[in-house]
Amino acid sequence: MTVAQPEVAQLPDTSLVSKPSSLWATTLRRFLKRRSALVGMGILSTLILLAIFAPVIAPYDPTQVLIGIEDVRKRTAPCIHLLGCPLDQPQHLMGIDGNVRDQLSRVIYGTRYSLFIGFTTVGFAIIVGIILGAVAGYLGGWVDNVIMRVMDVLLAFPSLLLAIAIVAVLGPGLENALLAIGIVSIPAYARVMRSSVLSVKVTEYIEASKALGAGPLRILIGSVLPNAITPLIVQGTLGIATAILDAAALSFLGLGAQPPTPEWGTMLGSERNQVFTAPHLVFFPGLAIMITVLAFNLLGDGLRDALDPRLSSGGTGQA
Amino acid sequence: MKRRPFFILLGVLVMVSVTMAACAPAAPALPYEEIAYDEPLVVAADSCDYGGKIKEIRALDELTVQFTMCKPDPAFLAKAAFTPFSIQPREYIEYTGGTGEILEHPIGTGPFMLDEWARGDSVIFKRFDDYWGDKPPFETLVFRWATEGAARLLELQSGTVDQITNLSPDDFATVQGDTDLTFLAVANPNILYLAMTNTFTPFDDVNVRKAIAMGIDRQRIVEHFYPVGSVVPDYFTPCSIPNGCVGEPWYEFDAEAARALLADAGYPDGFETSIFYRDVFRGYLPEPGLVAVEFQTQLRDNLGIEAQVVVMESGEFIDESTQGNLDGFYLLGWGADYPHITNFLDFHFSAANPQYGDVHPEIYEVLEEASQIGDAAQAESLYIQANNAIRDLVPMVPIAHGSSASAALATVENAHFRPFGAPLFGRTDPGKDTFVFMQNAEPISLYCADETDGESLAPCQQVIEPLLGYAIDSGDIEPRLATSCTPNADSTVWTCSLREGVKFHDGSALDANDVVACWAAGIDASNPYHVGNTGAFEYFSYLWDGLMNLEE
Repeated sequence: MTVAQPEVAQLPDTSLVSKPSSLWATTLRRFLKRRSALVGMGILSTLILLAIFAPVIAPYDPTQVLIGIEDVRKRTAPCIHLLGCPLDQPQHLMGIDGNVRDQLSRVIYGTRYSLFIGFTTVGFAIIVGIILGAVAGYLGGWVDNVIMRVMDVLLAFPSLLLAIAIVAVLGPGLENALLAIGIVSIPAYARVMRSSVLSVKVTEYIEASKALGAGPLRILIGSVLPNAITPLIVQGTLGIATAILDAAALSFLGLGAQPPTPEWGTMLGSERNQVFTAPHLVFFPGLAIMITVLAFNLLGDGLRDALDPRLSSGGTGQA
Repeated sequence: MKRRPFFILLGVLVMVSVTMAACAPAAPALPYEEIAYDEPLVVAADSCDYGGKIKEIRALDELTVQFTMCKPDPAFLAKAAFTPFSIQPREYIEYTGGTGEILEHPIGTGPFMLDEWARGDSVIFKRFDDYWGDKPPFETLVFRWATEGAARLLELQSGTVDQITNLSPDDFATVQGDTDLTFLAVANPNILYLAMTNTFTPFDDVNVRKAIAMGIDRQRIVEHFYPVGSVVPDYFTPCSIPNGCVGEPWYEFDAEAARALLADAGYPDGFETSIFYRDVFRGYLPEPGLVAVEFQTQLRDNLGIEAQVVVMESGEFIDESTQGNLDGFYLLGWGADYPHITNFLDFHFSAANPQYGDVHPEIYEVLEEASQIGDAAQAESLYIQANNAIRDLVPMVPIAHGSSASAALATVENAHFRPFGAPLFGRTDPGKDTFVFMQNAEPISLYCADETDGESLAPCQQVIEPLLGYAIDSGDIEPRLATSCTPNADSTVWTCSLREGVKFHDGSALDANDVVACWAAGIDASNPYHVGNTGAFEYFSYLWDGLMNLEE
């Protein structure tokens, strides 16, 4: 007599089901699929390397006047031996500026200032914005009203105009320009943070945390901030580009970095009248600003697409 | 037939209209009446205790004016030829009260009369057909402005303007190589200097000032930042001015000796300070920003002095520097107003000038004595003393006598730029009805008795005229509204004879009272018409050593 064996339910072949991947891995995969974002990342990596290794890469000190060292005159056009410049002339790939300094070295060193300006101002604005937005969103009531109305007032002015006004009060200089740009950038981050707090604080897991006795600070840092970090990263990346442009504009107007600092906006401003007679002196710093801003914008767009949950199931990889 | 009365009435109306139009005045009546010469006007100070040079100005008769001086002034003719001392009708000054309409609409005797000042765009002049001299060969003169040298040159190259001012040094070669343009060298004597105020530390130490005088490589600055023709000065005053270059020449560049001197003064590692300047193109400083950075570099490399470059608004810079309020170095210069050494030395180093801090009697006492001597050879020994004292005390460091240039279309005949004053456009011929001149900036006002900036004085010179004037190609004095001005034996009384038959643009005739009234409005602080644009009347004050009847 045979005993029929009960049928064992067939389990699906687990080898065909992918393991659930982490949020960051998914994000990275989506980011790597976006070609424009990779280009932005590549340019930015190059710029960071240029900034770090400027003393090694730049052929001259950016403030060194070449009078008496080489036979060059102010505003000499670029001399590239490979392109036919006579070998008996010193090679200067981007020419000589109005004060007889090597323009290439100044542009390379300028990378340091622009990246420093971008990261510090946005870093400052994000920190202050997070604090203000979190306090406003979590506490609500009159505190929320006061903070957000102040932010609204700041947003009501064109950012550059407000930065000019702040620098006019504080006095010209790179530090004051950084502070001004940082201040005018705060409202954007405060609003992002506040909206995240408002949407998260009514969720059940926050209620549960409260019931378990978690304090406001722990809830904000442990539960709310991780949920707000994504839009802040995107906003911050795009904000760096704006900050670099604002800093260049302030320096162009003589309110930002002061001579002999090799800052791109200062370089543009000091030679703005030579656009017809020595175009290389405005072309190269202008190009440097354009490339840097483009890199941050491409990177920011790529990050936004990669981090946006709405694209998690249907992203095509096209930015 | 029924319509005949209508046509008769119409015909009568037409006849009456035509008759009335024919009998009507050609121009609207003036809002004031011409005052015939009767009572001679006089303006006088109570005494010479006020410190100024002019005691009294008096009309002797209809065409004679007498200037009585407190002390001899050998530069009287050169000063009296300056634009701020131009003449307008007495009636017009009284009608306007010395301000308001006269600020925008001068009435003079010049070859052009103002037609329209379109604010922000242009000033348009029309030929004055009753001009006493040679009438301009064209009908309309237009003044326009652009702050950027490149923009001015582009306008000239495109033919939209006929002459421009202040050519950028980098454009010299372009203009000289362009057969469609004429390069006009400007021979205006000038000086750029690096000044210090001795009421601030460490500039109160003469050894610090001497160290800076020796530690600046002026040759390098002139060679790299000035156009060809500019020179490194050995003296404050350019050598084209008599007695300008007498005495010991300036210090040679010696960075080592300068550092030693600075160390002896207690600053072996230099110090921190600022370099103030204004970003305004002048013949003595064509590229202010570049030169300021060059000073910054030289001070750092040669002397260990860390200086921050500070650009200031032009008006604020002038006010603060000339009042001696700037606590660092400042870059300032001077273009000659009239061809006499007093225009350089007396203005900058007189007892009344606080721009370098505490004044130096070793300099100003000698200058006061020298300024009363008419014979240049006789005054030479005093100017040697003055120049040597300036060298020893180093209130500033003379940096450059800059050369500058203007440009015109090659089709413009007799295009020129005078060494002293703006071009006299009535003497040029563009070969067409309209001549367009482009300068740096818009005029501030056109009441030039109370203006000092060149952009105001240039259009004024087309409309109003002083008693005397400067020649086109030199500093020689030429008759204008006066046919002659002669001194008495000790040069304390000057008697000027006015030209006969001169008409103002309003149709009134020039007489001696017009001259007295104009000078009175400027030099007499108690005059009811001493109002102007700012009320400062700076050239009256500084060229004649002060305003008379000034309240304490």
